[in-house]
Amino acid sequence: MTTVLAPVAGAAIGLAAVSDLVFSQGMVGPGMAIDPERRSGAAVAPITGTIVKLHPHAYIVVGDDGKGVLVHLGIDTVQLRGEGFALLAAEGDRVLAGQPVVAWDPAAVEAGGRSPVCPVVALDAEDGMVGEVAEGRVGAGDPLFQWA
Amino acid sequence: MAADAEAIVAGLGGADNIIEVEPCITRLRTEVRDASKVDQAALRAAGVHGVMATGNVVQVVVGPEADTIASDIEDIVG
Repeated sequence: MTTVLAPVAGAAIGLAAVSDLVFSQGMVGPGMAIDPERRSGAAVAPITGTIVKLHPHAYIVVGDDGKGVLVHLGIDTVQLRGEGFALLAAEGDRVLAGQPVVAWDPAAVEAGGRSPVCPVVALDAEDGMVGEVAEGRVGAGDPLFQWA
Repeated sequence: MAADAEAIVAGLGGADNIIEVEPCITRLRTEVRDASKVDQAALRAAGVHGVMATGNVVQVVVGPEADTIASDIEDIVG
């Protein structure tokens, strides 16, 4: 059982509420999303493992058991080409759950006309394998969902 | 299962139909010349998770190997 932590502080919402079909239809896996607090801060690693992909707006951490968790900071934020994001770790780094990975500002993303909602996806997990644990407000590093 | 780059190129209507391929962590954002040449069934058969087409922009959801698959496709398209 893996406990996946909230990468950012905010309101825990269902993935179905995300305004991007790839996430809302669970094309890359089930999970949850967070409507983040509108203040700048660090997005943290959702699990302990290795950062296998690190973009300014998104990252994937794979645990020792091979489970990969994707954190996407806002919707369509690839279009920002890294502007407003600062890397606090490097691809290939080993990180502990809760360790800062990217600094960003959800308010700036929203001001630019994009949704700052952060999908957190259990990559390639079966639907029934993921159980929601968080409801309402979560802090960065609080448990968000369980992955059996 | 990793999607197959050559099958994706074929599903997008062949190398000549592809203008641009840009990877975004779990998907390929592609721009094609002729959207009618895109074969969604063939793309799904190539192992992709989903396909979303809006005009000449076709998003192919391939999972976390998007970067690798995009560079394979760029090698094929040349």
